[in-house]
Amino acid sequence: MTDLLARPPAADEGGMGYLESLPRKVVVVYIPLAIFIFVLLFPFYWMTVTSFKTNEELHAYKGLQALWIYEPTLENIRFLLFDTEYPRWLWNTMLVTVVSTFLSIFCAVCAAYAIERLRYKGSRTVGMLIFLAYLVPPSILFIPLAIMVFALGIFDSNWALILTYPTILIPFCTWLLMGYFRTIPYELEECALIDGATRLQILVKIVLPLSVPGLISAGIFAFTLSWNEFIYALTFISSAENKTVPVGAITELITFDVYNWGGLMAGAMLGSLPVAILYSFFVEHYVSSMTGAVKE
Amino acid sequence: MQDFTRREILKTGAAATLGATVASPALLAAARAWAAESQWQPESGAKLRVLRWKRFVQSEHEAFMASVDAFTKATGVAVRVDSEGFEDLRPKAAVAANIGSGPDIIWGIHADAHLYPNAMLDVSDVCDHLGGKYGGWYPIAEHYGKREGKWINVPITISGNLINYRKSMVQKAGFETFPDNTDDFLKLMQNLNKQGTPGGFALGNASGDGNCWTHWILWSHGGKVVDENDNVVINSPETVAGLEYVGELGKTFIPGAASWLDGHNNKAFLQGACSVSNNGISIYAAAVREGMTEIAEDMDHAFYPVGPVGEPTEFHVAFPLMVYNHTNYPNAAKALTAWLMEKEQYDAFLQGSVGYLSHPLRAYKDHPVWTEDPKRLVFRDVAERSRSFAHAGSLGYAASSVFADFVVVNMIAEVATGAKTPKEAATDAQKRAERYYNV
Amino acid sequence: MAAIGETRPVDQVNFLARLNNNRNLLGLLFMLPAAAILLLFLTYPLGLGIWLGLTDVKVGRPGRFIGLENYAWLFEDHIFWLSVFNTFVYTTAASVIKFALGLWLALLLNRHIPFKAFIRAIVLLPFIVPTVLSALAFWWIYDSQDSVISWILIEAGLLDETIDFLGQPNNARASVIAANIWRGIPFVAITLLAGLQTIPASLYEAATIDGAGEWQRFRHITFPLLTPIIAVVMTFSVLFTFTDFQLIWVMTRGGPINATHLMATLSYQRAIIGGALGEGAAIATAMIPFLLAAILFSYFGLQRRKWQQGGRDD
Repeated sequence: MTDLLARPPAADEGGMGYLESLPRKVVVVYIPLAIFIFVLLFPFYWMTVTSFKTNEELHAYKGLQALWIYEPTLENIRFLLFDTEYPRWLWNTMLVTVVSTFLSIFCAVCAAYAIERLRYKGSRTVGMLIFLAYLVPPSILFIPLAIMVFALGIFDSNWALILTYPTILIPFCTWLLMGYFRTIPYELEECALIDGATRLQILVKIVLPLSVPGLISAGIFAFTLSWNEFIYALTFISSAENKTVPVGAITELITFDVYNWGGLMAGAMLGSLPVAILYSFFVEHYVSSMTGAVKE
Repeated sequence: MQDFTRREILKTGAAATLGATVASPALLAAARAWAAESQWQPESGAKLRVLRWKRFVQSEHEAFMASVDAFTKATGVAVRVDSEGFEDLRPKAAVAANIGSGPDIIWGIHADAHLYPNAMLDVSDVCDHLGGKYGGWYPIAEHYGKREGKWINVPITISGNLINYRKSMVQKAGFETFPDNTDDFLKLMQNLNKQGTPGGFALGNASGDGNCWTHWILWSHGGKVVDENDNVVINSPETVAGLEYVGELGKTFIPGAASWLDGHNNKAFLQGACSVSNNGISIYAAAVREGMTEIAEDMDHAFYPVGPVGEPTEFHVAFPLMVYNHTNYPNAAKALTAWLMEKEQYDAFLQGSVGYLSHPLRAYKDHPVWTEDPKRLVFRDVAERSRSFAHAGSLGYAASSVFADFVVVNMIAEVATGAKTPKEAATDAQKRAERYYNV
Repeated sequence: MAAIGETRPVDQVNFLARLNNNRNLLGLLFMLPAAAILLLFLTYPLGLGIWLGLTDVKVGRPGRFIGLENYAWLFEDHIFWLSVFNTFVYTTAASVIKFALGLWLALLLNRHIPFKAFIRAIVLLPFIVPTVLSALAFWWIYDSQDSVISWILIEAGLLDETIDFLGQPNNARASVIAANIWRGIPFVAITLLAGLQTIPASLYEAATIDGAGEWQRFRHITFPLLTPIIAVVMTFSVLFTFTDFQLIWVMTRGGPINATHLMATLSYQRAIIGGALGEGAAIATAMIPFLLAAILFSYFGLQRRKWQQGGRDD
């Protein structure tokens, strides 16, 4: 899939591109595109600008130009890092995200290998069920899960999230990896079997090295999904020091009636940065996992 | 209920939100003296975790944190205070009770301790001590605090919610003083509307303002959700009479009141768009703080008018400190709750609350916060005047649920906006209430 | 094949060899980690949720079986029906607009433009940033007094007073839908773009030679070939919009006067805030038929794809 996307757009315009005049192209393509980009990016711009504004500036629109910062301040960042538990939330989010991502990838690799390469009896059905599992939304599971989390005694701990996030991640990762494993020639595996390799050895030494792009794609996507997760963390976590960034930002940074917008936006910005940075390094992998999930 | 406007934020600034507040030397000395004599000697190495509502009034929060700081320094008990928004706090309190772990003390609302009485520490010794020392508890505090003869929470405060009005507009409408009965009140509202300065009361799901005024109206005409035996009797001639009154009253409301939540009337009032509403003292406090002298001077507070039943039928929001029996340090927890109610620091807490929060113990009636500004005076008596939200019925799951589900608020709103006839609304409310009581 | 176990006891060799050869047994073993987690934390709670919907369990109180009472109650509860209505409005409006704008953006990105890879990368940003955090930004953008949109419009002389974005029912609905669209466009656009790029250029060339105009090329080549992927993308989009929780919870919590309550937020409100776990579970369960319908729709979309492309690509 990566290759499809990276392919030079040779015939994208139906072979008519060279006929299009520049003014026409400006109106038909560049202006709409510029509007799209502006609208899609403006909230980030606004978030960032607000993060560095003083409170005086935030609420004194009239005279000043609101769209720019005149007296940039780091006060909001300082507030976040030193007067709230924000660093702790970042750490929790990171921990939960990394652990549940690795756990999910491990489970997904085994499952995808079994479904796609071992082709045990009923593997097709299981593959389909896994796809369906991906479509089960957390908003219909959080109530029964909350009861289970209470019963298991893991309420208000990282474990509550580490064990439940994989239900979102495993189906997706498995589905994606199935696609990758499918593309590996059977001959490789058969040769190895004849040479006496076990299935585990084949998986580790042959299949996985050939699926590195798939593993990265699945990992990146899983990482962003669990960084993004909200309803489980909102329901299963209670104490301030155990919260994740999205939940902490909503429940702790929003004060009753008085909104500290600078701090809130700084929180939103800092919380978005880790995923944005990771994403910027792996754009192609991310896109291929997203489109891959849909195209299979 | 409380509304801070822009300039207030500028003053308090971001950093104040969670910054720890340090006790003054005098308070610290008082705390040390108190701790030495206290009958509750904390366990060694005790640590407490307190969950409270998010501050409404900055100065109240500072006073609270300062007294906690004094307690820690005097007793060596580390106290961690977390705050949560109100909506989130109640489910957390319920879950903590359910699973037997979580904060040691929660500053809750109403009579939530009655939903899970078995999870509560018996605090009778604390309450008896305080009651004996400070002139006794008001009946409402005792009603919410006690279950089967035992104190299951320590009432800490009650937040008054009364009529806020613009003097000049009410006078122009033909009333020298604010009406004290519902018939005159309706005339006033009609006149205000006619002269283009309408009043308005929240009809949205406003847990503070909405509940307070709708319960007043319902009770003022003799309507009630349940009788003494917890039978649902909301669909009664009295309720329908009240609702017919509401139908007339609703026509006089300012446009938009149908979707008002707790903060909307503050905003409208401060903008000068609303002449009469119900609220805590926060509108006035904001007007004073921000130098909006025109409004501050022209406004005043009044008790709710008395209806056909012939006695005050007010409802105010009470707050208890709930101590969980899962705490590892019951003595430390009792010591802290007792300390929080002692004069040495409760005076500062009341002062910091500038009339927004009122006392459940009679001795604090003489506190200067009530008299230094005559416009605060009516808020002094709210604990004395408040009815229980369960009114005639008993406290517990059904009463709390009917209340939390806005059954009364919705019934009144349906009639006030003309969406339903009084009979239909009362029938509907009966059905909703029965669902909770018949379980 | 038993050669690998030469130094080991015979039993073990046999066992390992059998295991290595028995696809079913080995498959089971490999499936175990994923199956354990999914069965325990997905399948079981799914069933448990349906069961809870038939009980009156509350926070702190074990429930008892009450049959369909929760549903009978919800059937007469106008707030529930309002949330169903809101959910449909939200899903329909957001999905249709997301699709239209997403397809448009995909077509734009499919052209010859400079910095294409870079533009595609930044266009996806709204999708990868945590929803809650971007919802916070929208909440601020929609602030009743200090909204930047109101400010710009007032400065431009187009408006006299600030817009009450989240305070009035219909404004609030439009505002949350707009935020959802904002977040969803990149997903639709980028996946459809991937689909567009699989369409062979030769088809367009042939059509051009035959004298087909731009619209005709879109109508007769692009759209039919894109239909299967559109079906899947839109199923995902509809499913996730239908069950949305985060955006609403951050910006309105279902208000004003329940005008933006979706089934998911109402379920949270009743179950977690209100403590009525059974009733909340019933509301959540009531979403399942709609989800199934969406999935079946997608399934038949895929069938159609096979039928359509049967002789050509596959």
